[in-house]
Amino acid sequence: MSKKKSKNKTVFHGVEDMPVAAISEGDMSWNKTGSWRNIRPFYDEKTSPCIAGCPAGTDIQGYIQLMLDKKYEEAVRMLWQKNPMPSVCGRVCYHPCTEACARGEIDESINIPSIERFLGDYAIDHNLTETADGDPKPDNGIAVVGGGPGGLSFAYYMAKMGYPVTVFEAKEKLGGVLQYGIPEYRLPKDILDKEIARITGVGMTVKTGHDVGRDVPVDDLEKYSACFLAMGLQRSRALGIDNEDAEGVMAGLSFLKSVTAGNPTDLGKRAIVIGGGNTAMDVARSAIRMGTDVEVVYRRTRNEMPAIEDEVEEAMAEGVKFTFLATPVGIFTKNGRITGIRAQRMELGEPDDSGRRRPVPVEGSEYEIETDSLLVAAGELSDTEAFENIVKLSWGLVVTDDAGQTSDEHIFAGGDVVTGAATVIEAIARGRKAAKFVDAKLRGVVGPETDEKQVITMSDINRAYFTPSRQVPTTHIALGKMKNRFAEVKQGFGEDEAQQEIERCMSCGVCNGCDICWMFCPDAAISREDGIYTINYDYCKGCMICAQECPRGVISSEREGT
Amino acid sequence: MKKIVIEGNHAVSYGAKAADVDVIAAYPITPQTQVVEKLSEMCASGELNAKFIKVESEHSAMAAVVGSSAAGARSFTATSSQGLLLMHEILHWSVGARLPIVLANINRAVGPPWNVWTDQNDSLSQRDVGMLQLYCESNQEVFDTMLHAFWVSEQLMLPSMIILDAFYLSHTCEIVEVMDADEARAFLPPYEPKHFLSPEKPKSFGNLTTPDFYYELRYQIDRDLRKALDLMKEADDRFEKLYGRSYGIIEEYRTDDADMLVVTSGTVTSTARTVIDELRDVGKRVGLVKMKLFRPFPTEDVRRILRRAEKVVVIDRNIGFSIGGIWAQEIKAALYNTNIDVPVFGFIAGIGGRDVTPRVIKEIIDQAEHMDVPDQDVYWIGVKNEQLHHTR
Repeated sequence: MSKKKSKNKTVFHGVEDMPVAAISEGDMSWNKTGSWRNIRPFYDEKTSPCIAGCPAGTDIQGYIQLMLDKKYEEAVRMLWQKNPMPSVCGRVCYHPCTEACARGEIDESINIPSIERFLGDYAIDHNLTETADGDPKPDNGIAVVGGGPGGLSFAYYMAKMGYPVTVFEAKEKLGGVLQYGIPEYRLPKDILDKEIARITGVGMTVKTGHDVGRDVPVDDLEKYSACFLAMGLQRSRALGIDNEDAEGVMAGLSFLKSVTAGNPTDLGKRAIVIGGGNTAMDVARSAIRMGTDVEVVYRRTRNEMPAIEDEVEEAMAEGVKFTFLATPVGIFTKNGRITGIRAQRMELGEPDDSGRRRPVPVEGSEYEIETDSLLVAAGELSDTEAFENIVKLSWGLVVTDDAGQTSDEHIFAGGDVVTGAATVIEAIARGRKAAKFVDAKLRGVVGPETDEKQVITMSDINRAYFTPSRQVPTTHIALGKMKNRFAEVKQGFGEDEAQQEIERCMSCGVCNGCDICWMFCPDAAISREDGIYTINYDYCKGCMICAQECPRGVISSEREGT
Repeated sequence: MKKIVIEGNHAVSYGAKAADVDVIAAYPITPQTQVVEKLSEMCASGELNAKFIKVESEHSAMAAVVGSSAAGARSFTATSSQGLLLMHEILHWSVGARLPIVLANINRAVGPPWNVWTDQNDSLSQRDVGMLQLYCESNQEVFDTMLHAFWVSEQLMLPSMIILDAFYLSHTCEIVEVMDADEARAFLPPYEPKHFLSPEKPKSFGNLTTPDFYYELRYQIDRDLRKALDLMKEADDRFEKLYGRSYGIIEEYRTDDADMLVVTSGTVTSTARTVIDELRDVGKRVGLVKMKLFRPFPTEDVRRILRRAEKVVVIDRNIGFSIGGIWAQEIKAALYNTNIDVPVFGFIAGIGGRDVTPRVIKEIIDQAEHMDVPDQDVYWIGVKNEQLHHTR
């Protein structure tokens, strides 16, 4: 008891003077119980698993919290800070965020793709635009070669920081694989074009129809302060068998280009698609939309297919036939036109470098399949000959370090031309990372700061606070019910569905102002002001009830005196 | 006021509603569950404007009402058997903190072995916590006693336990005249606490108190709990004037000129009334004393009534192992240090829900009639293989 209090101590003369219960006259703030503490709790926000799962580190938890307050514009602007293409990614991404979502360990993961798509489309519907927010840079400018997702991501972040950016795109339109590879039923062109228009609207010079190395001399790039190569993969890998030049045999990418251009190549009654990746699925599903019987022939099994699981399931639902453990070894022709293939049965042997079991031919198992066309989607190759003497290449791919730096100090690279066939979100991530690095380098400062926080795990989540609930599913339109067979298959969320789904977000590792710590602190040592909680260590006894109760593992602890 | 047919558990619920409680925290347990079910329905429908706090144990239920009562809310909980035992620590707290909580306990035998039927060992084990203990005989008495209990508790700032037998009352339907809070307000005005927890005026409740003062605080509890005898009588009188029903704190039934007085509590009383009537019809001078209060113990009333008898027979639906029935112990203690010299026969019956039929009560009376003084502390009636305990 403090001295002051001792002096003013109430004196009781006898039992009749006394109150019936021990109740203090004043408050107990003189009793600084913090001295009893040997463990110190502290607020320590962590990274949500969804964010850690996204190659671009999109702040999914953050934008969901804003969406809960219906601050959709703020939410989408937060999203753009890591990924400028939510309408695209909400539709075509393989969503590793959802795979990582901790909610999946309680009931079902959050349907992040549909939420992301809702936000992206909100920006489009509301004509949200962006401007550069960095100071204009007195600079010779930045050149970007290739206007696919990687190049556009890099160009966007450089332009946002105030750099003059010029994008060279060999084709007529920007978008790369999004424009010429991914069919309309997955990614409608008007959505893509609007999202790209917003990106270029930040302020950049776009030169379409400019193929660097053919229309533009490679040497011209030297006049820029820095250059970013993101040409992607241009060519389908050939099978290397006889008669591959027969009429009716074509590269999967060429077929997709004809489809996306609205002028699809006639495939006849039957088509065989070779391959098990996303391009093969796009080819097969586009072909079946033209009324062709489609059979995918893949040399391994379904388990080894690199395609997104959803795409395979939808292809099957739409009637694409699959033949696993088979590979074409010859092409039959008549009058220079394909009539069928000779296929060989395979079996799985030892694992190869990719960890997948290697397909091994089964002797004497060859058989014939009749077909009117053969679409080859067994991998894509780069087209980097023009850069052979400028940057170091390996198997046709540009060699870079982690930040995108090539062997030439002024040249950086990203996207599939660096990684080989990868994903849209990885290309976007590399584009942004390289932009941050190039900016730091041009300004002569040390590389961009990294803010690596601990990733939260399910063991940090207090399950008691989360009642099991079902995911709000994405609606799919069956092919048989479509008038326009290239209309979008997956339907987006309305606001109600989006709100219903984001309510399920546990905000793992990040405080969302739920008040649980504040309510539970037995010493009233936690105060709350403007949604910020503060622990008063004069009174915190270190009971750790706050940390135990926190539904989302925000509060960490350390031993006093360490 | 209206008459409805309800089970004893719902009489508790309607009683809490008539008392216009502010906070209810309870954990369901057989045979108390319907108390909580009905109250949660009343809260959900808005019929009763109270905060219903879901908890994960009886310890938490009692702790929650301790918190709400300390914050100045009229607070209620209900439990039974193991649940009451789990509350034990907080029962002491509620007394020491002087909180006028009302708790309904459905008397159920304690395990193991598991048993859901009635006996009084759960509530009587809380003998010394300092709560009022009020035993009821009918569903109407349950309803009315709920209101008595809140009024007396709030006068004294001490908690009350109202007690009813498992199944014989809890699950048995009777006609009960119930009233709503508006009608009950004349008897039970809104609770106005003198001290309460408030964020505007922080105070510490129940903190460290040295031997200089702890002793006096305990003295006050003892002094004030004794005051409950007069307050219960006052409550009973006021209630009778307002609503026409009275129970007293101890009831004498056909005790005039009785040589033998049979002392009972709970529903055994109703059975005993019919036995007394039958025996009176054949000329036996037997009377009945119904104990409603166990705490505070009505020592003076017990002395006043029992001193007239030649024999006292206490039927205990409970056992204080190695010493006898608990009511019998209390009655013997009340008669000591007086000039009353009446033999007290302690009989045990009905433990673990075994039926105490008129025949059992007649057998008890018959056995006592054939002895001048008891030759044992306790007689277990109806133990199979009786010759061990039973002399005739």
